[in-house]
Amino acid sequence: MTTLAAPPARSRHWRRYPASTFYLFAAPWILGFLALTIIPLGWALVISLTNFDGMAPGYRFIGLKNYVELFTDYPQALRSLWQTVLYTAAVVPLSVAGGLGLAILVNRRIRAVGLIRAIFFLPSVVPVVATAIMWRLVLNPDAGMLNGILDLVGLPSSISWLIDPYAFYSLLMVSLWGLGGGMVIILAALQDVPGELNEAAVLDGANGWQTIRHVTIPMISPVLYFQVVTGVIGALQVLVQPMLLAQTSSIATAASVPPSTHLYMVQVYEKFFTNNRFGFGSAMLWVFFVVIMLITLALQRSSRRWVHYQASTNED
Amino acid sequence: MTTLLTQHPPAGDTAPVNRRTGSGRARERRQRQSAFVYIAIVVCVALFGGPFLWILLTALAAREQLAEGAGGLLRFDNLQWGNFVEAVTRVELGAYFGNSLFLATLTAVLTTASSATVGFAFARIRARGSKPLFTIVLATMMIPHIATLIPTYMMFSRLSLVGTYWPWVLWGLSGSAYMIFLFRQFFAAIPLELEDAAIIDGCGWPRIFVQIFLPLSRPILLTSLLLQFTWAWGDYLTPALLLTQDNTTLSVAVTNAYLDPLGNGIPTLQAAGSILYILPALVIFLFFQRYFISSALSSGVKG
Repeated sequence: MTTLAAPPARSRHWRRYPASTFYLFAAPWILGFLALTIIPLGWALVISLTNFDGMAPGYRFIGLKNYVELFTDYPQALRSLWQTVLYTAAVVPLSVAGGLGLAILVNRRIRAVGLIRAIFFLPSVVPVVATAIMWRLVLNPDAGMLNGILDLVGLPSSISWLIDPYAFYSLLMVSLWGLGGGMVIILAALQDVPGELNEAAVLDGANGWQTIRHVTIPMISPVLYFQVVTGVIGALQVLVQPMLLAQTSSIATAASVPPSTHLYMVQVYEKFFTNNRFGFGSAMLWVFFVVIMLITLALQRSSRRWVHYQASTNED
Repeated sequence: MTTLLTQHPPAGDTAPVNRRTGSGRARERRQRQSAFVYIAIVVCVALFGGPFLWILLTALAAREQLAEGAGGLLRFDNLQWGNFVEAVTRVELGAYFGNSLFLATLTAVLTTASSATVGFAFARIRARGSKPLFTIVLATMMIPHIATLIPTYMMFSRLSLVGTYWPWVLWGLSGSAYMIFLFRQFFAAIPLELEDAAIIDGCGWPRIFVQIFLPLSRPILLTSLLLQFTWAWGDYLTPALLLTQDNTTLSVAVTNAYLDPLGNGIPTLQAAGSILYILPALVIFLFFQRYFISSALSSGVKG
């Protein structure tokens, strides 16, 4: 298992290559970063101050008008931002807790444990398009598996899962289906927890739940933190799933996405490619960009309180 | 290294102490616990495996069976293997398959080559500015992909690169922050003595990189190739935005093909098409799963 390994310590070895060698080797990334990240982001910032519509060359500078409109005169944007926050607040805790639960479940000697782990992990390697098609079949109101099961156990079974009020829960289900990716990482961390720690807790009279709560979770907290951070960043920018799970699943029809899954990025996409408001869409992107950075920083702050790093695995 | 499919893994048993207590009540509790564990596992297997089963049943069903409701799919007397044939012939699936294969291979090879080069620089060469630059590399992993994708699309459309594969070449040449990080970790762990010997023998740095570091890093090179390939294979948004109907990838074709005249999807064909689309990614995963796991490990433990 790799941690941020310190580069070789003996400094005389560093002098063997001139600095120009470093820049030559690092050039692909530096140039790519400038051309494919900084310039597009900067350009989007400039465009967000104009009324550019994606085609007409004669667009002009309109100052902060797009931003003002976004915050004062565009309730859909704020509502979609709220939906996105709701979605993130639901999906991240559930998937981290679910990943932890599954990892604990399969971190024991049982028959065919390898096969069971693979079944839990497989959904997370299925491409998003196939996941969406698969779940549209499962959620199909007439011939879907879910309504079939509900019918079998005698529950109301003609639920239209892809439209409101159920669409939001369907999206959650589909997202949680992929939590096996997190399970694998947590499982690896669990196997690194020294067995003596658990034994000591049991000898001290801790039951299973107390051992997990007071020994296991603190020991693997860096990994859980990593899951939370990547989960939040991923959940905030979800775009393809809600679009492909909509009734008429096609990228061209963002408008058919039901309100409860009309997340912020869907709204941005619609502004750009349905309404041709590139200036306004860019403003939405930049607001979002800032929101994500703030959330990441806030998470990093909070992590100091509950993430425990072992002294030996600190970075250089 | 953990592998998923090994039958008897060195699992860290979570309750080694319970096993020692032999009293009747403890045994009873243990039995209750293990019954609970097995039930939980069966339920979870059904939850995670169910959709796979359902897509397979749909792909093998006749269209009339779908009209009978969920039960209609559970009749096995009438398996329609022809759905797969129709899925391949109705649209030029082979051509899209080729596009996907080309694009994913191109991305994987270029990204791996450039990420290895950049990772080498960060791991072995110290220069003014290299540390802050590495912090920026890590920070770019936090930048939402989508926030740069749409402006990049605007830029590429100005440069008339939309509809060509050039954007993938450019992305590939500039490497991926994630892989740069993994390569840097790997190269930093290689002992200095190897380099020393080569330098005494009069080797220049390009030769050291190519002839000493690259051969040693076969596992991570393979990891990078596999991960980049599967990511590119599964990507939907980028080809949907940047390619045309003719040269787009399988991921876009599978969603937009198989429509009836009214524009509704034909589930049996979509299911068959999706299975054909997933299969390469699945096969790669099953054969090389330990590489997927090992990369997951190194990314998950980042401090």
